[in-house]
Amino acid sequence: MNTYWRTFKVAAWLGWEMDSNWTEPWLFVIYSVVKPVAGAFILVLMYVVFVAIGRPQGDPAAFSYLYIGNSFFIFVASVLFGTFQVIQSDREWYQTIRYVYISPISYYVYIVGRAASKVAVSSFAVAITLLFGVFFLNVSIQLSWTAIPMFLAATALGLTVLLAIGICLGGISFLTAKHTHGLAEGIPGLFYVFCGVLFPLSVLPSWGRAIGQGIPLTYWFDITRRLLAPSLGVDTTLTGYDDLTILLLLLVSSIAFFALSILIFKTGEYFARKAGKIDMTTSY
Amino acid sequence: MSYAVETRDLTRVFAGKKHRFRRKRTADEADEHLGPVTALDGVSIQIREGELFGMLGPNGAGKTTLIKILATLLLPTSGQAFVAGHDVAKDPFPIRQRINMVSGGETSGYGLLTARENVWMFSQFYGVPSRVSKARIDELMHVFGLWDKRDAKVRMLSTGQRQKMNMIRGFVTDPDILFLDEPTLGLDVNAARIIREYVLNWVRSQKGKTVLLTTHYMAEADQMCDRIAIIDKGKILACDTPEALKRMIRTETTFRLEVDAIRDTASFSSMQGVKNFSLTNDIGTNRSHLTFILEDEGPVAEILSLITSQGKKVHSLQKSEPTLEDVFISMVGRGFE
Amino acid sequence: MSAAPARRTDLRYRLGLNARAVVGRSYPRIIGANREPSWIVFEAFLPLLGIASYVFIYQAFGTRTIAAIVANDSLTQAEREAAIAGAHLWVNALVATVVLGGTMVAFWLNVLWSMASQLYWEKEIGNLQLYMMAPMNRMALLGGMAVGGMFMTSVRALSTLAAGVIVFGVVFQVADPLSLLAVFFVTLIALYGMGMMFASLYLLWGREAWNLSALMEEPIFFSSGMYFPVGGLFKIPGWGPAVALAGSLVPATLGLDALRQLTLGPASQAAILPLAPVSTELLILCVLAVGFLVLARYALAYLEVLAKREGKLTSRHQ
Repeated sequence: MNTYWRTFKVAAWLGWEMDSNWTEPWLFVIYSVVKPVAGAFILVLMYVVFVAIGRPQGDPAAFSYLYIGNSFFIFVASVLFGTFQVIQSDREWYQTIRYVYISPISYYVYIVGRAASKVAVSSFAVAITLLFGVFFLNVSIQLSWTAIPMFLAATALGLTVLLAIGICLGGISFLTAKHTHGLAEGIPGLFYVFCGVLFPLSVLPSWGRAIGQGIPLTYWFDITRRLLAPSLGVDTTLTGYDDLTILLLLLVSSIAFFALSILIFKTGEYFARKAGKIDMTTSY
Repeated sequence: MSYAVETRDLTRVFAGKKHRFRRKRTADEADEHLGPVTALDGVSIQIREGELFGMLGPNGAGKTTLIKILATLLLPTSGQAFVAGHDVAKDPFPIRQRINMVSGGETSGYGLLTARENVWMFSQFYGVPSRVSKARIDELMHVFGLWDKRDAKVRMLSTGQRQKMNMIRGFVTDPDILFLDEPTLGLDVNAARIIREYVLNWVRSQKGKTVLLTTHYMAEADQMCDRIAIIDKGKILACDTPEALKRMIRTETTFRLEVDAIRDTASFSSMQGVKNFSLTNDIGTNRSHLTFILEDEGPVAEILSLITSQGKKVHSLQKSEPTLEDVFISMVGRGFE
Repeated sequence: MSAAPARRTDLRYRLGLNARAVVGRSYPRIIGANREPSWIVFEAFLPLLGIASYVFIYQAFGTRTIAAIVANDSLTQAEREAAIAGAHLWVNALVATVVLGGTMVAFWLNVLWSMASQLYWEKEIGNLQLYMMAPMNRMALLGGMAVGGMFMTSVRALSTLAAGVIVFGVVFQVADPLSLLAVFFVTLIALYGMGMMFASLYLLWGREAWNLSALMEEPIFFSSGMYFPVGGLFKIPGWGPAVALAGSLVPATLGLDALRQLTLGPASQAAILPLAPVSTELLILCVLAVGFLVLARYALAYLEVLAKREGKLTSRHQ
C-alpha cells in the first residue's frame, strides 16, 4: 500500500509540474479557464444562431441541458487525455518510459497519479464554467442541500469511470503509434455523441441509444443534470429510473469498467512487451 | 593561407534559465544553477584545409558549443568564426552548402522510415539529386556494414547501427568540412574502428576535405588527428600536433602507480617536484591508479614512502612515455574522468 | 585558393534545392502515415464523432422546434407545413455549417499541430539542428510539412464531407464552382502562411508552444465560427462583433463564411448570416495569404537569428 501511495504522490507531483511549470501562474490559470469556457461559448453561439434564425422565442430548457452537460464534459476531455497521453508522451517525447516502467512500482498507479493534476485543474474549470453560465447566461441550476451527498458520490463515481476508460485507452496506446491528438479529439467525441451530453439520447437512432445506455457516463451525465437542474423537463431517455437506481447503475458500471481497465491495460502491456513496443518512437 | 575554419577570440555565454511555479531558490542555488555560463572563452584556432583537426577535452569543456557555432546553429556572444572563409554570423548559406555534422548518441530521423529513406531525406535538404544520393547511400551502406539493415526501420536499429546511419548521413552530401562531435561515443570497438578508418581515408584520399573531430577518447585523437587543441572550461590550453604536445612534457617524467585504494591525496599536491597528478579508483579491484607528472625522478621515493606510511601496498610502479592524457593532466591538474 | 570545388548559388540551383527539400520533408509524412495505418481510425474516423455531436445539437433543436410547430393549434395546415419546411431548411443550413466547419477544422489542426508546433517537436527528437544547418530555405522545410500533412488532412476533410452528405443528409447546392475552388485554395494558402508565421515563433518557445497550440483550438473554433455561422456573433451586442472581427484575422473565418455562401442555395442565405459578399471576402483572403507568407518569411529569418543568439535551436526539453 505504501508503495502505491508513494507512486501516486510522486506521479501526481510530476503531472502537476508538467502541466503547470511551463508558464507564469497567472497565465496558467487563464489558460486553464479560457479553453473550456471558449468550448462552452461555441455552444452558446450555436444556441444564439438557432434562436436568431429558427425559434425567436428560444428554448431555455434545451440550452440549460446542453450547457450543464458541456460543463461536466470538461472532466471527460481533460481526464481522459490526462490518462492516456502519459504513455505516449513518456514514450515518444520525454523518452523516459523505459526507466519508469522498469522501476518497482505499479505503472497503473503511476498513470492514475499523473492524471490527478488534470482532475484538479478541470474541477476548477468546471466550476468556473458553471458559475459563468448561472450568472451571465441564465442557466438554471437548483442544487438542493439534500442532494449534495448524492451529487458528490455521483461525481466521484463518474471520475472513477473516466480514469478507468483512460487507462483502457492507455493499454491500447501501448500498441499504437503517436496518435495523442487523434485520441484526444476522437474518444471524447464518442462520448459526446452517445452519452446524452448535449442533446437527449432520443435524437439518436435506436442503435445509438443502445450504445449510449451501455456507457456509464450516460448515467453520470443524467444523474448530474437531474440533481443540478431538476426542473428542466427535457427528455432524458432514462425516465422511469429513480435517482438511486441510476446511482446504483453507475456504481456497478464503475466497478465493471475498473476491472476492464486492468484487463485491457495488462493485455496491452503484454503485447507491447512481446512486440518490443514498450519504448518505441514513431515520429514522422 | 586558406583556412577551412578560423575563430578569433570566440566567446559564448549562455544566460541563466528561469524556472516558474517553483519555490524561491537560495542565493547559493541561484549562483550554482541559474547564473550565466561561459561555454567558450576567447577561443582562437585555425584549421587548415585538408586537415583532420581534433578538439580534446572533458565533458562540458565547450567542444559541442564550438561545433554548434561553426555549424551555424548558434551565434557567438563575441568574437568571430569563419568557415570556408565565410562569417558564421553573417553569411551562413555558403557555409551550409559545404558542411555537415554528425554527433555521437544522436537520435535524429523518423522512426517509421527505413535507414536508407532517412538518409535520402536529409540529402534532399542539400539539393543532392535523388539518383546521386541513392547511389552514394548504397555505397556508404556497404562501406559501413549497414547494407543488410538498409530497409530496416530506424526504430529497429541498434545504437551502433543508428550511429553508422548518422555517419552515412554526414557523408552523403559530400561536404567539404565535416564536424564530428564525439562520433564514436558508446560504440563497440569494431564499429568505432570502421568509423575511424573511413574518416581517415576520406580526408587523406581527397583534396580539400577537412574534419573537425571532438572527442574525449585520447587514443582516438592521438591516432587520427594531424593537430589537436586541448580545451578545458572554454579555453584552449594548447594546440599542436600530437607529437609536439607530448614533447611539451617530455622534459617532465611520468610515473604510473597501482596501489591499494587511497583517499588522502592532499599531501601529493604540496610535495616538491610534483607538477601534477591524477587519481582514478577501480572499485572492482579496490585499487587506485595514480599518474604523476614530475619535474624529475627525485620525488618518487617520497611518494612511495607516503603511500606505504598509510598502510597501503604498492602493486606496480612504471615510468612511461607521456600520452595525451598526461599532457592534459600536466596542464589542468586532473584527468578526464 | 580553395581545393574544394565551388558550389552553385544561382537561382536555378536554389529552386531545385528547395523543391527537393519540399519533397524530402513531405516524404516521411506520407510514407510514415501509410506504414502506421492506425492513423485512419484516429485521424479520419474518430474526429467525425465530435462533428456528429454538433450536428445532433442542431437536429435536436430542429426536432423540438418542429414538435412545437406541430403542437401549435393556432396555425393553419398550410402555415404549419410552411413552418416545418422552413425549419428543415435552416436545420440543413446549420448542419452544413458544422460539416464545412469540420472540414476546415481538419486543416486548422494540421496547421497548428503538424506545422506550427512541429519545429518544437523536431527539436525534441533531435532533427531541428540538422534542418537548421542545411542550406535549404526554411519555408521549403515548412512547405514540405504542409504538403505531407495535407495528405492525411485531406482524407479527414473528405471523410467529414462524405459523412455530412451520406450520413447526415446535408444538401449542398454549388452554383459557382470556380469561385468555390478559388476561395478554398486561397483560404488554405493563407492558413498555411499563418502556420509558417507561428512556426517561427515556436522556435523560441519551448513547451509554451504546445500549450499555445492547445489554446488555439476551442477559442479559435469559437471566434472563427467553425460550428456556427460567424454572423451569429453580431447578434450579441458589444463584444460579439469585436470577437468576430478579431477572429477574421484567422483566414478560416472568412473562408468558411464564403464557402457557406457558395455551397448553400439562395433560400438558405438568411440562415447562414453572411458577413460580407463572397468577392469582398476573397479579396481580403488574398491580402491575408500574401501578408502571412511575407510575414512568415521575415519572421522565420529574424527569429532564427534570435533563437541562435539565445541558444534555443538545439537544447531539448526546455
